Amino acid sequence: MAAAPLTAPVTAPPAAAPRRPGSGARRGGLLRLPFYLLSLTMIAPFYWMLITVFKPVTELDRQPPSFVPEHPTLDNFYDPGYSPTQVNPGHLQGLFQRFQVDFGFGRFMFNSLVITITITVGSLLIASLAAYVITKHRVPGRRLIFLMIVASMMVPWQTTLVPNYVIMRNLGWLDTYQGYVIPALAKAFVLFFLVQFLHSIPDELIQAARVDGAGEWRIWWRIVLPLLRPALAAMSIFIVLAEWNNFLWPLILVQSDEMANIPVALARLNSYFTGAQNQGAIMAGGLLASLPSIAFFLAFQRYFTRGIVLSGLKG
Amino acid sequence: MATPAAVSRHRWRRHGTSYLMLLPFLALFAGFLVWPLANSLYLSFTKFDGVTAPEFAGLENFRRLLFDDDRFRHALGNTFLYVVASVGIGTLLSLGLALAFGGSGWPHRVMRTVFFLPSVTSSIALMLLWKWIFNPGDFGLANTVVGWFGGRAVEWLATPGLTIPILVLMSVWGGMGYGMVLYVAGLGSIPQEYYEAARIDGATPWQQFRRVTLPLLRPVTTYVVVTGLIGAFQVFEAVYIVFRGTNNIGGVLDSGLMIVPYLYDQGFTHFKLGYASAIAWVLFLIIFAISMVNLRIGRALKEL
Repeated sequence: MAAAPLTAPVTAPPAAAPRRPGSGARRGGLLRLPFYLLSLTMIAPFYWMLITVFKPVTELDRQPPSFVPEHPTLDNFYDPGYSPTQVNPGHLQGLFQRFQVDFGFGRFMFNSLVITITITVGSLLIASLAAYVITKHRVPGRRLIFLMIVASMMVPWQTTLVPNYVIMRNLGWLDTYQGYVIPALAKAFVLFFLVQFLHSIPDELIQAARVDGAGEWRIWWRIVLPLLRPALAAMSIFIVLAEWNNFLWPLILVQSDEMANIPVALARLNSYFTGAQNQGAIMAGGLLASLPSIAFFLAFQRYFTRGIVLSGLKG
Repeated sequence: MATPAAVSRHRWRRHGTSYLMLLPFLALFAGFLVWPLANSLYLSFTKFDGVTAPEFAGLENFRRLLFDDDRFRHALGNTFLYVVASVGIGTLLSLGLALAFGGSGWPHRVMRTVFFLPSVTSSIALMLLWKWIFNPGDFGLANTVVGWFGGRAVEWLATPGLTIPILVLMSVWGGMGYGMVLYVAGLGSIPQEYYEAARIDGATPWQQFRRVTLPLLRPVTTYVVVTGLIGAFQVFEAVYIVFRGTNNIGGVLDSGLMIVPYLYDQGFTHFKLGYASAIAWVLFLIIFAISMVNLRIGRALKEL
């Protein structure tokens, strides 16, 4: 189930099955011990989050804390015992009761999903078009364009934060989906990666299609995109995770509750509600934010590790 | 198709399509990256509140940042301390993890997944989790552990001396799995023959590590360190979620104030957009310098 490094390399030098050099199993075991212990510190916070989600309000600030919820409950998601008019000790609003928007927290999950999918598909389409031209068409200026795009990868994107905010405001795009999506579409690192990948694909395939009379758009759609599939898969994982978890830009862009994505909604929960009794609902939100991206990772782990390695070691 | 005119017309048609295909990417790239970048440089020389037109102020913003602004100096100091500690410790642990769990058997693969998990978990969720773990109450997880060893509850997030160590801890915990994946790939690409040759020459395991593994991993190390540095300089969420107080973004006594949180504070809390742009350009210059050093190191290594 785990990170198999480069079992089927795409363009990088093939990696042999990673074996630890020159160490007998026994001594290695002893050296590994501290790292096995370290893994407990990786698990513990996740476990703490998980049990917090299922603890009733009265169990959240108990001393000593319970390490297995004694009265497991789903109240932190939705608490039927809560009433805004009648104080009912031991009952608080669940996660889905805390925002005055239709579908509650579900609205933010919907927003995040729509935004993530749109940006992923859109950015891959436009980057693959550009990469195709840069690698396979002899148009004047393509080197200069590519150089500029590569150079832009050295720019911290926060440098564009203020002007982009002003642009969004002038366009009336604050608090809109297009404000999330349009500025995020041109991704230099995606273009760079696709160009590297396309260089390794022989021109003959495309020449043959041209001789057969296929137009450029058709070649892009029917030949280039299918050839790019492994590279697109690797990039899409990066983009999906980055956009699903994107925070600083949405924080500046979004004003209403309706247009928040999950991270912004979580940050608002964090500033509206303090105190231990609220942590169950907040952790429930954290769990709903994390489960999809963890599941996505586990499902596409092979592509993911390969993508990291390819973009890292070749870049 | 044989006449020169037809050829050139044909070529123009081809190029027309090419430019049309480049257009979506280039237009968005120009509109939301190149133009804002130039604009941000211009704004950094102005006084701009976002409402009235920017007012040219020359180098005033930069003069103030570098000589007059104690909070900025504090933010820079904090950031450098945090960057050096988190990248240093994180890189060492990444390498250690890759050496420990680089194998292909299932225990190693499970371990790699465990250490990589934070990289794919919502970072805001993780920050909220840390805030909850470091709850000042004696029921917080951190204080419970302290209690097991007989200690008294600690005000983790309100003790200025603990802020940077906690930020470093969160960063190392969350980031070492990523470096590990890169190191595992790097280790896998070292030919086994080198180790066999070293063994035949009587090299001890430590000598093999020192003379074969480390030098051959140098490109990976450079990459892990440089991307780590760049990422660490841009830290924002940890400060914003875990340490921000009601009216102060940097935590108690600004003990967690860093460059990007300060940029956000000046630009989007106080709406000093010109000043915030100047901060953004200081960040730009730092990161640009790291990238340049990286290029030069890379070239120097190739010439060796």
